[in-house]
Amino acid sequence: MKAPVLGVDAAFASIRELSARFRTRDVSPVEVTQALLARIERLDPTIRSFVTVTADAALAEARAAETALLRGDQGRPLLGIPVAHKDIIATAGVRTTAGSAVLADWVPETDATVVTRLRQAGAVSLGKLIPHEFAFGIQFPGHRFLPARNPWNLDHMPGGSSSGSGAALAAGLTIGALGTDTGGSIRLPAAFSGIAGLKPTYGRVSRAGILPLAWTLDHAGPMARSVEDCAYLLQALAGHDPADPTSSRASVPDYVAALTPDVRGVRIGVPRAYFLEDLDPDMEAAFADALTVLQELGATIRTVEIPSIEVASAGLLIMLVEAFAYHEPNLRATPERYGDVLREKFLAGALFTGAEYVQAQRLRRRLCAEIDEILMTVDVLATPTARGPATAFTVVLDPTFGFPRYNTLPFNLTGQPALAVPCGFSRSGLPLSLQLAGRAFEEATVLRVGHAYEAATDWHRRRPPL
Amino acid sequence: MSDHRDGLTLDEVRARIAAAGIEIAEARLELVQKLVNMALEPIRRNNWRGLQDVEPAMRFDARPTQAEPRP
Repeated sequence: MKAPVLGVDAAFASIRELSARFRTRDVSPVEVTQALLARIERLDPTIRSFVTVTADAALAEARAAETALLRGDQGRPLLGIPVAHKDIIATAGVRTTAGSAVLADWVPETDATVVTRLRQAGAVSLGKLIPHEFAFGIQFPGHRFLPARNPWNLDHMPGGSSSGSGAALAAGLTIGALGTDTGGSIRLPAAFSGIAGLKPTYGRVSRAGILPLAWTLDHAGPMARSVEDCAYLLQALAGHDPADPTSSRASVPDYVAALTPDVRGVRIGVPRAYFLEDLDPDMEAAFADALTVLQELGATIRTVEIPSIEVASAGLLIMLVEAFAYHEPNLRATPERYGDVLREKFLAGALFTGAEYVQAQRLRRRLCAEIDEILMTVDVLATPTARGPATAFTVVLDPTFGFPRYNTLPFNLTGQPALAVPCGFSRSGLPLSLQLAGRAFEEATVLRVGHAYEAATDWHRRRPPL
Repeated sequence: MSDHRDGLTLDEVRARIAAAGIEIAEARLELVQKLVNMALEPIRRNNWRGLQDVEPAMRFDARPTQAEPRP
């Protein structure tokens, strides 16, 4: 007799579990896709994570996956796994809005490389997930689109800019999701939504077909409910793409095989300055507990110093200038089509001199050199992903709300891989998160430490009260 | 490069807006000023004469030394 899979079971199943059950014919990709579509229909009017649901196409893809499975396709772990894409990632024949009125009706003719790769891996696309507008600005009241809500507390944002991706995963509306990260836009929604998210090394995952925010800081990567699921998704996404000139030719290891719960001997560095300043007390306690868990698992922990870490906010200047460079023709021609407040933030990118941009890049080089040197003496850096839990809409929807100091931004500047893993809850019931960063192209190490931490804790198995 | 130790004033922000040929509503000027100053902070704070460059570059100081004769 089949075990019940429809409903909550399917919604929160892991890729490994679903893949195994597809192959024993215990459950089919069509059944799981139907269950998720029904859940989206029931819950998403409240969560608002999807901007476009491609139900008919998803069912067709699920049927194709089912046929492939019946023919004995054994080699693709993502075959039949439902996923969804941040809506700044182009999808052929499916509108790609960027969460903006500017592109509200844009239908690309081709898929982004990351979409193609998931499709080739056999994944089923459920649709498109609302991002912050152009991956930068939350939608204010009166906007063409509404921002996603945090399933743990609907009055809070789920983090951004991959906000729909974080919210949909937390609510059990998809099994995997694509996000992009320019200053923390994979890791912050992962942190605030209580899921896992990996910003891979710059160049590890193609950005061809993704609307840029800032070319030298943008990354694409996987988001899921566990580190293991992120590893499965990364396996399909990683690798050279001739369509992206920044794509690396570095070989792609077996990320899933590298996941062991053994971190004995792994050296973890904790940079205290900048990263541990102004922490919410609940975050401070959760981070200390997370370090204790890693130590008990056999890792060694020591404090490290990054002398120039304070220059990380130069990343904001780089982001603003590059974003303006991309949007300038449209900002000058039709500024009114951009969202309120976002418009002024993008325009601010025009207010820096060429020399200031170059100096910001010089500071970036210094930071890169320092962190590279530290990562010769430790294997991984551990920090809180954010300084506290998710922010309330009442705070972020104040136009004067600033750009906080993000613990995530330094690793956009350096391009090193960084992972967000759930590590506790605030007293108000909102998720907290641990960030693990490693050497360039050593995603496997970062994933292994995150997986070991998850194997020893149950924070990632908790579900919001929906 | 900015020499403004305390950040750009609103008038300086207005001057940069004019130079860039863009329009920003007066009601949003303080928001923009805050954002721009935050982005410029590490550049303002840095001691550029003492910066150990990662990239190879000779450095020099154009200020007159005490030994230089005055005109």
